[in-house]
Amino acid sequence: MLSLVVVVVTLWLGLNDELGLYIHPRYFVFTIVMALVGLVLVSAGFVRRRSFEVEDAGRLATTLTGTGIVLLLVMGVAIVVVPPTTLTSATATQREVNSGGLGTDADQTAALIGAGDFEELSVREWVSLLAQSTDPAFYADKTARVTGFVTPDAQDPDNVFYVARFVVTCCAVDAQPIGVPVYLPGWQAEYEIDDWVQVTGRFDPSVSAAATDPLALTPVEILPVDQPNDPYVY
Amino acid sequence: MHPPLPRRWPFGLTAGVLVVLAVFVLRALAPPYLEEQLSGWQLPDRVQDTLTLAISVIIESVPFVFLGILLSAVVQVWLPHGVLARHLPKNPILRRASISLLGMFFPVCECGNVPLARGFMVGGFTVSESITFLLAAPILNPITIITTHQAFGWDGHILVARLLGGFLIANVVGWLFSQHPNPQSLLTTRFAIACEVGSGSGHGHEHGGHGRDSRFSQTTEIFIRETSVIMPALFIGSGVAALTQVFIPRSVLLALGSNPVWSVLAMMALAFVVAVCSNVDAFFILSFGSTFLPGGIVAFLVFGALIDIKMLALMRTTFTSRTLVQITVVVGLMSAALGLLVNYVA
Repeated sequence: MLSLVVVVVTLWLGLNDELGLYIHPRYFVFTIVMALVGLVLVSAGFVRRRSFEVEDAGRLATTLTGTGIVLLLVMGVAIVVVPPTTLTSATATQREVNSGGLGTDADQTAALIGAGDFEELSVREWVSLLAQSTDPAFYADKTARVTGFVTPDAQDPDNVFYVARFVVTCCAVDAQPIGVPVYLPGWQAEYEIDDWVQVTGRFDPSVSAAATDPLALTPVEILPVDQPNDPYVY
Repeated sequence: MHPPLPRRWPFGLTAGVLVVLAVFVLRALAPPYLEEQLSGWQLPDRVQDTLTLAISVIIESVPFVFLGILLSAVVQVWLPHGVLARHLPKNPILRRASISLLGMFFPVCECGNVPLARGFMVGGFTVSESITFLLAAPILNPITIITTHQAFGWDGHILVARLLGGFLIANVVGWLFSQHPNPQSLLTTRFAIACEVGSGSGHGHEHGGHGRDSRFSQTTEIFIRETSVIMPALFIGSGVAALTQVFIPRSVLLALGSNPVWSVLAMMALAFVVAVCSNVDAFFILSFGSTFLPGGIVAFLVFGALIDIKMLALMRTTFTSRTLVQITVVVGLMSAALGLLVNYVA
């Protein structure tokens, strides 16, 4: 039954283009193919009456304590009925925004600097720029327009929030939050944590005494936007 | 092992198709319906995230588990019984050494290796030989080697240390368990019985029904039997991994990154908790490359490929808890030693 649940859920996510909420696109094809193979074998299993007897052996879980079974049931049902969503700020806060580094090398960053059209840069690209240089002069004439979800700064949650995204290397379980700090005292009155926004502004030396980032966006415009189809970055 | 009577066919198939359809319909209708009924109300963030994380581990691993089960079925059903076991060297040490390279031909990651190792045992491998395979194959396989190389190149001997370390650990642990007086006692009772039945029926098939049909239904049967054992374990493993992720701050581990000793231990703890597949963990850890010393990364790449929360749940389907504790301790100590060696020497 559990395989059936997983196979059906996987195929359904695939059909609705929502697999990206859970895994990296490089696995899409493999996952769908194996789910189809699984569907064939699970269905074939029903043909054989024996399979029902064998399925009782699945109660091996009993040895893994009663809580195990409850967990299985809850997860089995939840996987089917709870609408798929992205990770939330709770995980972003818990994993500390920008704590992981990005693994972008200097060449890529150099290419970014030469790119010219800075308004097109994504959260990820700004974060790697900010990791390379925090010289205010470099950012003085450049406007950033970034899209992400709102998550509070750990040190100065009243005045600073991050426009954040999750970077996924394999599946959502390894998601690392990254984000561009935005300085806006009292932001919590206007925006909710986890809202998706597009922020336009320039980087200035951070006014916040507590925040760790030396630079922060001073927003000119903050637009609420819909969550993109592809909420993670890779 | 009798083929099902022909007249049962339509009933079983119809019931099967109906169940499949029912789950599809439930999947299609329930989430929108719930969303409408509970508009505005959401699961608490942490509960929601736990679920998302668990689902992502499951969806990520299941294809590999299926692939592992299929390969295991190939070994049991399609290859002549014991053909692999016959063609390997007779000397136990050389034999285990070549078994640890089998992963080169079975490129499934560690979650798929569990059903495969079970298949090998049914197909005539000894317990210690299967353990060797189980511990070597996640690292010594082409996909892992390619991804590790892509992530790190030849930097800091990480790739070499990972491959040699994995090979060494698998063979040392295999050797240790080969000294065990009663290897059957390392297995869960249920699996030990399945092994005997399996090898018995294996002989039976060679005399009995050949033909594509019976082989296909045998494959189906192995698939159903193995999934019914592995899937609950995978669900529980993923659930526990997700819970730990949500409730233990990752920053606690990251803070320890720059100390030569602590970085090794912290990275092993991280590997244990994160439970990423060995095929891709190199990309994951690459993003921490600047924070941690190379020894810590090697320890992560070696230990995490072999042992993590999800893997222990999966291996528990086959081995006793006592055996798993022993394996974990030995693998942990050797990975730590390897990490420290890289930090202090290389």
